[in-house]
Amino acid sequence: MNKLARLLFALSMLCLYGTAWSQSPTRVTITGSVVDTSNNALPSPTLMLLNPVDSSLINFTRADNQGGFEFKNIKNTTYLLKISYVGFLPKQVVIQPSEKETIDLGKIKIQPITLELMEVVIRTAKAPLTIRGDTIEYDASTFKVPPGSTVEDLLRRLPGIEVDADGNIKAQGRDVRRLYVDGKTFFNDDPKAATKNLGAETISKVQVYNEGSEQSKLTGVDDGKKEKVMNLELKEEFKKGAFGKLTLAYGDQDRWAARGNYNRFNTKEQFSIIGYGNNINQTGVNWDDYGEFKGQSAYNWDDVDFGFSSGRRYFMMDGDGLRNWFDGRGFTQNAGGGLNYNFSQKKAKFNASYTYNQVDLDLNEFGFRQTFLADSSFSNSDTTLRADFRNNHVFNTRYENEIDSSNTIIVKASGRLSQNNSTNSSSQLFSSTNVLQKNRLSLDNDNDLNSWNMGAQAIYRHRFNKKKGRSFSFGGAYQNNNSDGAENIFNINRFFQANTFTDQVRQLNNNVNDLRQVKTSLLYTEPLSKKVFGEVFYNLQNTNNQINRQVRNLESNQRVDELSVFFDNQVTFNRLGTSFRYSHEGVNVGFGLAAQQIRLETAAAQDEGLPNFEAPLVRTFNNIVPNLSANVELKNNMYLGLEYGYQINEPRFNDLQPVRNVNNPAFQTLGNPNLQPERQHNMSFNFNYWNPASFISVNFNSDYNLYDSQIVYTQTIESNPSTGIRTTTRPQNLAGGNSLNSNMWINYPLIKTKLSMRINGGINFGLSPTLINDVANNTNNNGVNMSLGLNATPNKKLILDLSANINNQNISYSLREDQNQKIRNYGVDGSVKWNFASKFFLESNLDYNIFRNERLDFKQDVPIWNASVRRLVGKENKFEIRAAAFDLLNRRVTINQGGSLNFVTRNVANTLARYFMLSLSYNIKGYENKLRKNDW
Amino acid sequence: MNVKHFLLIIGISLPLGVFAQELEGTVRYLMTHNWSKKYASEDHMSKQSKEREMYIWGSRSEWKEYTVLHLKANESKYMESEEKAEADMEGWSWRKDLFFIKRNFSNNTTQEAIPMTGKTYLIEDQIHPQNWKILNDLKEVAGHVCMKAFYRDSLKKQDIVAWFAMDLPSSAGPERFCGLPGLIMEVDINNGSLNIAADKIELKKLDKELELPAKLKGKKVNEEGYLTALRDHFKLQIDQDRPTFWGIRY
Repeated sequence: MNKLARLLFALSMLCLYGTAWSQSPTRVTITGSVVDTSNNALPSPTLMLLNPVDSSLINFTRADNQGGFEFKNIKNTTYLLKISYVGFLPKQVVIQPSEKETIDLGKIKIQPITLELMEVVIRTAKAPLTIRGDTIEYDASTFKVPPGSTVEDLLRRLPGIEVDADGNIKAQGRDVRRLYVDGKTFFNDDPKAATKNLGAETISKVQVYNEGSEQSKLTGVDDGKKEKVMNLELKEEFKKGAFGKLTLAYGDQDRWAARGNYNRFNTKEQFSIIGYGNNINQTGVNWDDYGEFKGQSAYNWDDVDFGFSSGRRYFMMDGDGLRNWFDGRGFTQNAGGGLNYNFSQKKAKFNASYTYNQVDLDLNEFGFRQTFLADSSFSNSDTTLRADFRNNHVFNTRYENEIDSSNTIIVKASGRLSQNNSTNSSSQLFSSTNVLQKNRLSLDNDNDLNSWNMGAQAIYRHRFNKKKGRSFSFGGAYQNNNSDGAENIFNINRFFQANTFTDQVRQLNNNVNDLRQVKTSLLYTEPLSKKVFGEVFYNLQNTNNQINRQVRNLESNQRVDELSVFFDNQVTFNRLGTSFRYSHEGVNVGFGLAAQQIRLETAAAQDEGLPNFEAPLVRTFNNIVPNLSANVELKNNMYLGLEYGYQINEPRFNDLQPVRNVNNPAFQTLGNPNLQPERQHNMSFNFNYWNPASFISVNFNSDYNLYDSQIVYTQTIESNPSTGIRTTTRPQNLAGGNSLNSNMWINYPLIKTKLSMRINGGINFGLSPTLINDVANNTNNNGVNMSLGLNATPNKKLILDLSANINNQNISYSLREDQNQKIRNYGVDGSVKWNFASKFFLESNLDYNIFRNERLDFKQDVPIWNASVRRLVGKENKFEIRAAAFDLLNRRVTINQGGSLNFVTRNVANTLARYFMLSLSYNIKGYENKLRKNDW
Repeated sequence: MNVKHFLLIIGISLPLGVFAQELEGTVRYLMTHNWSKKYASEDHMSKQSKEREMYIWGSRSEWKEYTVLHLKANESKYMESEEKAEADMEGWSWRKDLFFIKRNFSNNTTQEAIPMTGKTYLIEDQIHPQNWKILNDLKEVAGHVCMKAFYRDSLKKQDIVAWFAMDLPSSAGPERFCGLPGLIMEVDINNGSLNIAADKIELKKLDKELELPAKLKGKKVNEEGYLTALRDHFKLQIDQDRPTFWGIRY
């Protein structure tokens, strides 16, 4: 209706009102009293005056003790008077405008609700009762019947309904002659056909009401005969659905990709299937696809280790092997897929999944490494060709049951079967600065590794009902990891000296590794007051690791005794601790102490089953460790966090091994059975600020580690005409190492909703001590990185982003200050997302990266430009066609620059450069027809 | 349409009935937030993102907390409870924003402190009860038989179902809901996105429970000023494709 019509209508209403006014009073008083069916007065019922059009509440009052009521001085118009009284059916009376000043409604009778409905439906079943005229309906699903029951079984339980032996139904004492299902006749007129055949679980509501007879329906004349009719309302079907996507892509140079997933679900179950394959370096799926695949079991955090973190390493299943992890080097062919099933009810949740993935990598990499000695340095350049195939079968299952409000149990089991075959062929050219000594080392290794892991975990939590906050938890886990590998090694070392000669090694290594870990944890929490909580925890962990490494010389076909070992290591960790927490008004502070013991037992023999070389070495380390944590929530969405802990970790198993590994004769490693546990102070600080009105956010965090005892790889470098330059690393405990890492993110909107700025930065300092040929060297690694970005959204169809970053790293060596390195990486990145026509999208980005190291005279610029156009097709945008160009300038290589201890490195790897691709995607639910911002 | 509007105007011009209230005590409400449902009832968010949210988080997106409503003579004060409803949160404390809704039904005045997007709005005005429709359903909540009332909040785009007790004469209720002929025992917003249900009624003499904090810091507004700020918030969130319930009380 337009404005004029409305105005006219209002005017005419006013006129009508005026006419009425001339005859009737504008204000009236409504009186009356409320009685029950036997004319007894009902004390204080509630009376409501409603607008008859939409039942909106206009006025209300409460009657006196005799049920008498009065609405004084109210507008003289039509009302719906509603009377409500506990235990009675609400009654409605229409009140017309009156010509007199007082409208006396006299005695209004209200009907009681039958005791059955009141007690059984309202009080016991807690089901809402709906009254529509003379129909009373309620949610029948709140009445529990055994699974497999029919509607008849359900009806027998419902108040006011009787079902005799033959299945005839009576409602409120009268026969039910007709029965509808969802308002329609079911099969035929016999009500029993429905009640005996339908399952009780399909019914949501039962309605009983009076209906005119068939005859009156035909003639349209009310013959006064009413029949009891029952209507069964069917449950809104279990919410069912399905979604899925499929993408097929093909490009030049035979580039291809395929990816698909399909999910089916209802309120209780989720089932999904996913698959992918490509030769464009996507080794897995992204977070979104992984999340959809796992559904409601995508995010489970189950920690079996209770008490404050002691920084102990423990074994975790890393996702399902489906996630993309590509590091940018080389060319890969990939395939994978999986099945996932989730079941969830209010209390019980179950998940099972199986996934498979494989990656076939071809890598061609050039590496340069310069190593500094007290008086000299040497460098080696390394050309590596690597072919690597790996696959994983992963199985995961998890069951959670909240048995009741105080008991919860979680059980998990997982397994993995993996295979890895790789061929490495590397040619390393060594040259030394002061001595004209050069050699070329060719390494050809074939590795075959088969491994399997399996593990199980259980967590039980009990909350005491008597006292809020008192709880007890138990956690237990078992893990067994096993691998069996063979390394076939062929090395040739050629020396280019006055008398050129060649040294050759052919060797076959068999490595069998078996790890078994059992752990258990207990935690008891007691609220000491409203603000103070006490905790006691105990952790026990036993790890047994066996390595059998048998090295055979392929020329003599003899075991190489000095390189072969069967090594058995047992670590038993015990910790008993307590902590106190203060928790009030956003301040949460905790302090704890724990006594812990690490018992290390190592034994070595020539081979499994042979006597030990010497008696097992048993060492025990006892310590008291503190822990402090503070989290403070300040005003205005500011959060401060501070944590301090002292961590003690036993040495890694491989570092204790007493034999040499000579797979690469130029870089040999040797374990150290006398290693002590690593001991360090850990401190962390973080600050977060978030303004929900202006969207300014500031995050800062910082970590500092200081080692009392650090396991450091010391180096012994020998250079002699018969072996060339040979580096042997050996782990040793050294004190004084430290590191500081700080990061900051700031997001600052410059123009609300249109333009925002972000600043990211980080500072890191690190001091790593080491020994080079028994001379102490401290390497300082100082880095600063900074990035500044601008993001503009001028309108909903255009997003522009521009950012620049600087990454500076300075490395200084106390041994050779003249060799200090300055590594510089710079980058500029611009991107555009443009919805340039209906359903057409253009996306492009240019990433310009500059790599520098002046001392090594290294300079390389890598500009990468990608662009794509896509179009949504179909009524619900179910199809997407996309044409994409990757690395249009054909310049992509992957460069890593770094340095530590006494060396500086740089690696340049080839990878997928320019290619073009056309793809077609189908989404069951359709694609979003808008730009994705992804800003939250 | 127009008849309705016309009658509505008549309706508003009438004062609502007020009870002589003898009810004194404290009602504890259990608030059950369901984030997936809240997200799903955002009209402006894409269907795909809502379904995704529901698929991954649907089975465990509930969050429970307690609030209390103190009732005395013709006054009520609604605020957060000291008690925690989530057992997992025992031993952890969040900072509480300044929040209360204090009403005086005999003077028809309200005094409120409501946090929104990091600010506190101090509202002082007359009571603006919701334009309730009374429906024909009965249900028991915490031992009291209640009638059903319905209200559509067109600004927050919420369907609100309230259950008020027929035998507890008070016009008070949880959050900003009030104006029914019985105490509001349960409120359900957007089909379970937020459910507020009384779970404990303690009739007792109240002492200082209804007093307001001595220091009140915030932006002083009247009802209209608060609604304007709320409207601006909704406009901005919708414009930015963000959920509207971020930063406000649902």
